Amino acid sequence: MIKKGLIILTVLAAFSCQSAEELKTEQYFAEGYQIYTMNCANCHQADGKGMANLYPPLEGSEIIKDKSAMACIIRYGMKDTIIVNGKPFHRPMPANPKLQELEIAEIITYVNMKWGKDSIYTPIAAVTKALQNCKEN
Amino acid sequence: MSDLNWKKYFSGVVLLVLTITIWSCDGGKKLPILGERDWVTKTVDGKEVVDTIYNVIPPFTFTNQYGEKVTEKVVENKIYVTDFFFTSCPTICPVMKKQMIEVYKEFKGNPEVMILSHTIDPEHDTPKVLNTFAKDLGVEGNQWLFLTGPKEDIYAIGQKSYLSAAQEDKTAEGGFLHSGAFILIDKEKHIRGMYDGTTEEGTKKLMRDMKILLEEYKK
Repeated sequence: MIKKGLIILTVLAAFSCQSAEELKTEQYFAEGYQIYTMNCANCHQADGKGMANLYPPLEGSEIIKDKSAMACIIRYGMKDTIIVNGKPFHRPMPANPKLQELEIAEIITYVNMKWGKDSIYTPIAAVTKALQNCKEN
Repeated sequence: MSDLNWKKYFSGVVLLVLTITIWSCDGGKKLPILGERDWVTKTVDGKEVVDTIYNVIPPFTFTNQYGEKVTEKVVENKIYVTDFFFTSCPTICPVMKKQMIEVYKEFKGNPEVMILSHTIDPEHDTPKVLNTFAKDLGVEGNQWLFLTGPKEDIYAIGQKSYLSAAQEDKTAEGGFLHSGAFILIDKEKHIRGMYDGTTEEGTKKLMRDMKILLEEYKK
Protein backbone atom coordinates (compact mmCIF):
# COMPACT_ATOMS: atom_id res chain seq x y z
CA MET A 1 0.00 0.00 0.00
CA ILE A 2 2.58 2.51 1.16
CA LYS A 3 4.96 1.49 -1.61
CA LYS A 4 2.28 2.00 -4.24
CA GLY A 5 1.42 5.34 -2.72
CA LEU A 6 5.05 6.31 -2.84
CA ILE A 7 5.31 5.38 -6.47
CA ILE A 8 2.22 7.42 -7.30
CA LEU A 9 3.61 10.34 -5.32
CA THR A 10 6.96 10.05 -7.07
CA VAL A 11 5.23 9.88 -10.41
CA LEU A 12 3.08 12.90 -9.59
CA ALA A 13 6.04 14.89 -8.33
CA ALA A 14 8.01 13.92 -11.39
CA PHE A 15 5.16 14.84 -13.69
CA SER A 16 4.91 18.36 -12.41
CA CYS A 17 8.47 19.40 -13.16
CA GLN A 18 10.12 16.88 -15.42
CA SER A 19 10.12 16.06 -19.06
CA ALA A 20 8.18 13.08 -20.39
CA GLU A 21 11.43 11.18 -20.83
CA GLU A 22 12.51 11.68 -17.25
CA LEU A 23 9.08 10.67 -16.09
CA LYS A 24 9.22 7.46 -18.07
CA THR A 25 12.69 6.71 -16.72
CA GLU A 26 11.42 6.99 -13.16
CA GLN A 27 8.45 4.79 -13.94
CA TYR A 28 10.60 2.11 -15.55
CA PHE A 29 13.09 2.21 -12.70
CA ALA A 30 10.43 1.92 -9.98
CA GLU A 31 8.57 -0.87 -11.72
CA GLY A 32 11.82 -2.54 -12.72
CA TYR A 33 12.83 -2.64 -9.08
CA GLN A 34 9.63 -4.49 -8.15
CA ILE A 35 9.87 -6.98 -11.00
CA TYR A 36 13.55 -7.55 -10.25
CA THR A 37 12.74 -8.26 -6.60
CA MET A 38 10.05 -10.76 -7.58
CA ASN A 39 11.85 -12.57 -10.39
CA CYS A 40 15.60 -12.10 -10.15
CA ALA A 41 16.67 -11.29 -6.60
CA ASN A 42 16.34 -14.87 -5.28
CA CYS A 43 19.51 -15.78 -7.13
CA HIS A 44 21.20 -12.52 -8.16
CA GLN A 45 20.32 -11.00 -4.76
CA ALA A 46 18.78 -7.64 -3.90
CA ASP A 47 22.23 -6.04 -3.93
CA GLY A 48 23.06 -7.49 -7.37
CA LYS A 49 26.14 -9.25 -6.00
CA GLY A 50 25.01 -12.78 -6.89
CA MET A 51 25.87 -15.68 -4.61
CA ALA A 52 29.27 -17.34 -4.21
CA ASN A 53 30.17 -19.29 -7.36
CA LEU A 54 26.55 -20.35 -7.88
CA TYR A 55 24.86 -17.26 -9.30
CA PRO A 56 26.73 -14.49 -11.11
CA PRO A 57 26.71 -10.85 -9.96
CA LEU A 58 25.11 -8.11 -12.06
CA GLU A 59 27.09 -5.41 -10.31
CA GLY A 60 30.30 -4.83 -12.24
CA SER A 61 29.21 -7.22 -15.02
CA GLU A 62 30.05 -6.23 -18.60
CA ILE A 63 27.22 -8.35 -19.98
CA ILE A 64 24.45 -6.10 -18.64
CA LYS A 65 25.60 -3.42 -21.10
CA ASP A 66 24.61 -5.71 -23.97
CA LYS A 67 20.88 -5.15 -23.71
CA SER A 68 19.96 -7.42 -26.61
CA ALA A 69 21.76 -10.31 -24.97
CA MET A 70 20.16 -9.45 -21.66
CA ALA A 71 16.66 -9.44 -23.15
CA CYS A 72 17.22 -12.86 -24.73
CA ILE A 73 18.66 -14.34 -21.52
CA ILE A 74 15.77 -13.02 -19.42
CA ARG A 75 13.12 -14.36 -21.82
CA TYR A 76 14.72 -17.68 -22.84
CA GLY A 77 17.15 -18.42 -20.02
CA MET A 78 20.62 -19.76 -20.73
CA LYS A 79 22.58 -22.99 -20.48
CA ASP A 80 26.09 -21.98 -21.50
CA THR A 81 28.87 -21.18 -19.10
CA ILE A 82 29.08 -17.45 -18.59
CA ILE A 83 32.18 -15.59 -17.40
CA VAL A 84 31.36 -12.63 -15.18
CA ASN A 85 34.03 -10.45 -13.59
CA GLY A 86 36.58 -13.11 -14.51
CA LYS A 87 34.77 -15.98 -12.82
CA PRO A 88 32.98 -18.78 -14.71
CA PHE A 89 29.40 -19.74 -13.79
CA HIS A 90 28.01 -23.04 -15.05
CA ARG A 91 24.51 -23.23 -13.66
CA PRO A 92 21.65 -22.79 -16.15
CA MET A 93 19.34 -19.82 -15.75
CA PRO A 94 15.64 -20.62 -16.16
CA ALA A 95 13.54 -18.96 -18.86
CA ASN A 96 10.89 -16.39 -17.92
CA PRO A 97 8.20 -16.90 -20.56
CA LYS A 98 5.65 -15.00 -18.49
CA LEU A 99 7.50 -11.69 -18.52
CA GLN A 100 6.12 -9.19 -21.06
CA GLU A 101 8.38 -7.06 -23.24
CA LEU A 102 7.57 -4.01 -21.15
CA GLU A 103 8.56 -5.86 -17.99
CA ILE A 104 11.83 -7.02 -19.55
CA ALA A 105 12.57 -3.44 -20.60
CA GLU A 106 11.89 -2.31 -17.05
CA ILE A 107 14.24 -4.92 -15.57
CA ILE A 108 16.99 -3.92 -18.02
CA THR A 109 16.40 -0.27 -17.11
CA TYR A 110 16.59 -0.98 -13.39
CA VAL A 111 19.71 -3.14 -13.61
CA ASN A 112 21.58 -0.75 -15.88
CA MET A 113 20.70 2.35 -13.88
CA LYS A 114 21.44 0.65 -10.58
CA TRP A 115 24.61 -1.26 -11.48
CA GLY A 116 25.59 0.12 -14.87
CA LYS A 117 26.09 3.67 -16.07
CA ASP A 118 22.68 4.32 -17.63
CA SER A 119 20.77 7.43 -16.70
CA ILE A 120 17.85 6.86 -19.04
CA TYR A 121 15.34 4.03 -19.59
CA THR A 122 15.65 1.22 -22.12
CA PRO A 123 12.61 1.40 -24.46
CA ILE A 124 10.32 -1.55 -25.24
CA ALA A 125 11.24 -1.27 -28.92
CA ALA A 126 14.82 -2.28 -28.10
CA VAL A 127 13.52 -5.41 -26.37
CA THR A 128 11.09 -6.26 -29.17
CA LYS A 129 13.91 -6.03 -31.73
CA ALA A 130 16.33 -8.03 -29.59
CA LEU A 131 13.82 -10.82 -29.02
CA GLN A 132 13.33 -11.25 -32.76
CA ASN A 133 17.03 -11.98 -33.15
CA CYS A 134 17.77 -14.22 -30.18
CA LYS A 135 20.23 -17.00 -30.92
CA GLU A 136 19.56 -20.53 -29.75
CA ASN A 137 21.32 -21.23 -26.52
CA MET B 1 -5.93 3.28 6.90
CA SER B 2 -8.39 4.73 9.40
CA ASP B 3 -7.39 6.03 12.80
CA LEU B 4 -8.90 3.04 14.58
CA ASN B 5 -7.02 0.62 12.40
CA TRP B 6 -3.79 2.39 13.14
CA LYS B 7 -4.43 2.09 16.86
CA LYS B 8 -5.16 -1.59 16.53
CA TYR B 9 -2.08 -2.08 14.42
CA PHE B 10 0.06 -0.12 16.84
CA SER B 11 -1.11 -1.98 19.95
CA GLY B 12 -0.51 -5.24 18.08
CA VAL B 13 3.07 -4.23 17.41
CA VAL B 14 3.58 -3.18 21.04
CA LEU B 15 2.23 -6.50 22.25
CA LEU B 16 4.50 -8.39 19.89
CA VAL B 17 7.57 -6.45 20.99
CA LEU B 18 6.68 -7.02 24.65
CA THR B 19 6.20 -10.73 24.08
CA ILE B 20 9.51 -11.04 22.31
CA THR B 21 11.28 -9.05 25.02
CA ILE B 22 9.84 -11.11 27.87
CA TRP B 23 10.50 -14.29 26.03
CA SER B 24 14.12 -13.50 25.18
CA CYS B 25 14.77 -12.52 28.80
CA ASP B 26 13.90 -15.99 29.98
CA GLY B 27 17.43 -17.29 30.44
CA GLY B 28 16.60 -20.80 31.61
CA LYS B 29 14.44 -21.50 28.57
CA LYS B 30 14.25 -25.03 27.24
CA LEU B 31 13.21 -25.77 23.71
CA PRO B 32 10.04 -27.81 23.23
CA ILE B 33 9.98 -31.29 21.71
CA LEU B 34 7.85 -31.20 18.58
CA GLY B 35 5.85 -33.84 16.74
CA GLU B 36 3.30 -36.46 17.63
CA ARG B 37 3.71 -38.21 20.93
CA ASP B 38 2.43 -41.33 22.59
CA TRP B 39 2.13 -42.54 26.17
CA VAL B 40 2.84 -45.96 27.64
CA THR B 41 2.27 -47.24 31.13
CA LYS B 42 5.09 -49.25 32.62
CA THR B 43 5.55 -50.90 35.96
CA VAL B 44 8.74 -49.80 37.71
CA ASP B 45 9.51 -51.22 41.17
CA GLY B 46 5.90 -52.26 41.55
CA LYS B 47 4.57 -48.79 40.72
CA GLU B 48 2.73 -47.74 37.58
CA VAL B 49 4.62 -45.05 35.65
CA VAL B 50 3.46 -43.18 32.54
CA ASP B 51 6.19 -42.65 29.98
CA THR B 52 5.99 -40.22 27.05
CA ILE B 53 7.25 -41.46 23.72
CA TYR B 54 8.31 -38.61 21.46
CA ASN B 55 8.60 -38.44 17.71
CA VAL B 56 12.10 -39.69 16.90
CA ILE B 57 13.98 -39.45 13.61
CA PRO B 58 14.40 -43.08 12.48
CA PRO B 59 17.62 -44.62 11.11
CA PHE B 60 18.40 -43.63 7.51
CA THR B 61 20.84 -44.41 4.73
CA PHE B 62 21.70 -41.80 2.11
CA THR B 63 24.68 -40.87 -0.06
CA ASN B 64 26.62 -37.63 0.45
CA GLN B 65 28.32 -35.25 -1.99
CA TYR B 66 31.52 -37.33 -1.82
CA GLY B 67 29.69 -40.49 -2.90
CA GLU B 68 29.96 -41.96 0.62
CA LYS B 69 27.21 -43.85 2.41
CA VAL B 70 25.79 -41.81 5.29
CA THR B 71 23.62 -43.20 8.08
CA GLU B 72 22.18 -41.77 11.31
CA LYS B 73 25.58 -42.59 12.88
CA VAL B 74 27.00 -39.46 11.27
CA VAL B 75 24.94 -37.29 13.64
CA GLU B 76 25.63 -39.39 16.73
CA ASN B 77 26.23 -37.11 19.71
CA LYS B 78 25.56 -34.03 17.57
CA ILE B 79 22.73 -31.60 17.11
CA TYR B 80 21.91 -30.89 13.50
CA VAL B 81 19.89 -28.68 11.19
CA THR B 82 18.21 -30.20 8.18
CA ASP B 83 16.36 -28.94 5.12
CA PHE B 84 15.05 -30.01 1.72
CA PHE B 85 16.02 -28.42 -1.60
CA PHE B 86 17.11 -29.17 -5.16
CA THR B 87 20.01 -27.69 -7.07
CA SER B 88 18.03 -26.44 -10.08
CA CYS B 89 15.38 -24.74 -7.94
CA PRO B 90 14.68 -21.21 -9.10
CA THR B 91 12.49 -20.06 -6.22
CA ILE B 92 13.11 -20.35 -2.49
CA CYS B 93 16.18 -22.64 -2.43
CA PRO B 94 18.75 -19.97 -3.28
CA VAL B 95 17.27 -17.84 -0.50
CA MET B 96 17.42 -20.77 1.91
CA LYS B 97 21.00 -21.59 0.99
CA LYS B 98 22.00 -17.97 1.52
CA GLN B 99 20.53 -18.17 5.02
CA MET B 100 22.03 -21.61 5.73
CA ILE B 101 25.48 -20.24 4.90
CA GLU B 102 25.04 -17.91 7.88
CA VAL B 103 24.35 -20.93 10.10
CA TYR B 104 27.35 -22.73 8.60
CA LYS B 105 29.66 -19.79 9.25
CA GLU B 106 28.37 -19.31 12.80
CA PHE B 107 29.01 -22.93 13.83
CA LYS B 108 31.92 -23.78 11.54
CA GLY B 109 34.30 -26.23 13.18
CA ASN B 110 31.97 -26.97 16.10
CA PRO B 111 32.18 -30.78 16.45
CA GLU B 112 28.72 -30.90 18.05
CA VAL B 113 26.93 -29.29 15.09
CA MET B 114 26.09 -30.59 11.61
CA ILE B 115 23.92 -29.59 8.67
CA LEU B 116 22.14 -32.14 6.44
CA SER B 117 20.56 -30.84 3.23
CA HIS B 118 18.44 -33.42 1.36
CA THR B 119 17.77 -33.10 -2.34
CA ILE B 120 14.20 -33.83 -3.37
CA ASP B 121 15.27 -34.26 -7.00
CA PRO B 122 17.65 -37.24 -6.66
CA GLU B 123 17.35 -38.16 -10.35
CA HIS B 124 19.09 -34.94 -11.30
CA ASP B 125 21.02 -34.29 -8.10
CA THR B 126 23.54 -37.13 -8.13
CA PRO B 127 26.47 -37.06 -5.67
CA LYS B 128 28.56 -35.49 -8.43
CA VAL B 129 26.03 -32.69 -9.03
CA LEU B 130 25.78 -32.10 -5.27
CA ASN B 131 29.57 -32.02 -5.03
CA THR B 132 29.81 -29.21 -7.60
CA PHE B 133 26.94 -27.37 -5.95
CA ALA B 134 28.57 -27.55 -2.51
CA LYS B 135 31.92 -26.36 -3.92
CA ASP B 136 30.27 -23.47 -5.77
CA LEU B 137 28.50 -22.54 -2.57
CA GLY B 138 31.87 -22.48 -0.81
CA VAL B 139 31.23 -25.54 1.38
CA GLU B 140 34.05 -27.98 2.12
CA GLY B 141 34.61 -30.80 4.58
CA ASN B 142 32.05 -32.94 6.36
CA GLN B 143 30.16 -30.55 8.59
CA TRP B 144 27.54 -29.71 5.94
CA LEU B 145 26.47 -32.78 4.00
CA PHE B 146 24.31 -32.77 0.87
CA LEU B 147 22.35 -36.01 0.73
CA THR B 148 20.74 -37.94 -2.10
CA GLY B 149 19.14 -41.38 -2.24
CA PRO B 150 15.98 -43.22 -3.27
CA LYS B 151 13.22 -40.70 -3.82
CA GLU B 152 10.71 -42.65 -1.67
CA ASP B 153 13.10 -42.65 1.28
CA ILE B 154 13.77 -38.92 1.04
CA TYR B 155 10.09 -38.02 0.73
CA ALA B 156 9.11 -40.43 3.51
CA ILE B 157 11.64 -39.09 6.02
CA GLY B 158 10.74 -35.53 5.01
CA GLN B 159 7.02 -35.92 5.45
CA LYS B 160 6.76 -38.42 8.30
CA SER B 161 9.80 -37.69 10.41
CA TYR B 162 10.89 -34.13 9.79
CA LEU B 163 7.26 -32.94 9.38
CA SER B 164 8.31 -31.01 6.32
CA ALA B 165 6.53 -31.16 2.99
CA ALA B 166 8.57 -32.52 0.11
CA GLN B 167 7.00 -33.86 -3.03
CA GLU B 168 6.97 -33.79 -6.78
CA ASP B 169 4.53 -31.30 -8.28
CA LYS B 170 4.62 -30.64 -11.98
CA THR B 171 2.65 -27.42 -11.53
CA ALA B 172 5.16 -25.90 -9.12
CA GLU B 173 7.96 -23.78 -10.55
CA GLY B 174 10.96 -26.05 -11.02
CA GLY B 175 8.72 -29.14 -10.71
CA PHE B 176 8.87 -29.76 -6.96
CA LEU B 177 7.00 -28.53 -3.97
CA HIS B 178 8.76 -28.24 -0.66
CA SER B 179 8.70 -26.19 2.49
CA GLY B 180 11.23 -23.53 3.31
CA ALA B 181 11.74 -24.90 6.79
CA PHE B 182 14.97 -25.41 8.67
CA ILE B 183 14.48 -28.18 11.23
CA LEU B 184 16.55 -28.46 14.40
CA ILE B 185 17.22 -31.96 15.77
CA ASP B 186 18.81 -32.73 19.14
CA LYS B 187 21.21 -35.52 20.14
CA GLU B 188 18.28 -37.76 21.08
CA LYS B 189 16.89 -37.27 17.54
CA HIS B 190 13.90 -35.20 18.67
CA ILE B 191 12.71 -32.20 16.67
CA ARG B 192 13.33 -29.15 18.85
CA GLY B 193 12.34 -26.38 16.47
CA MET B 194 11.17 -25.45 12.99
CA TYR B 195 12.18 -22.16 11.40
CA ASP B 196 11.46 -20.16 8.28
CA GLY B 197 14.64 -20.68 6.28
CA THR B 198 13.63 -18.08 3.73
CA THR B 199 14.00 -15.17 6.12
CA GLU B 200 16.79 -13.62 8.12
CA GLU B 201 14.56 -13.49 11.23
CA GLY B 202 13.80 -17.22 11.04
CA THR B 203 17.47 -18.03 10.64
CA LYS B 204 18.51 -15.78 13.53
CA LYS B 205 15.99 -17.50 15.76
CA LEU B 206 17.37 -20.88 14.69
CA MET B 207 20.93 -19.84 15.57
CA ARG B 208 19.76 -18.55 18.95
CA ASP B 209 17.93 -21.80 19.64
CA MET B 210 20.95 -23.88 18.58
CA LYS B 211 22.97 -22.12 21.28
CA ILE B 212 20.23 -22.78 23.84
CA LEU B 213 20.17 -26.43 22.82
CA LEU B 214 23.96 -26.78 23.04
CA GLU B 215 23.76 -25.34 26.58
CA GLU B 216 21.49 -28.23 27.59
CA TYR B 217 24.36 -30.63 26.98
CA LYS B 218 26.98 -28.63 28.85
CA LYS B 219 26.05 -29.90 32.32
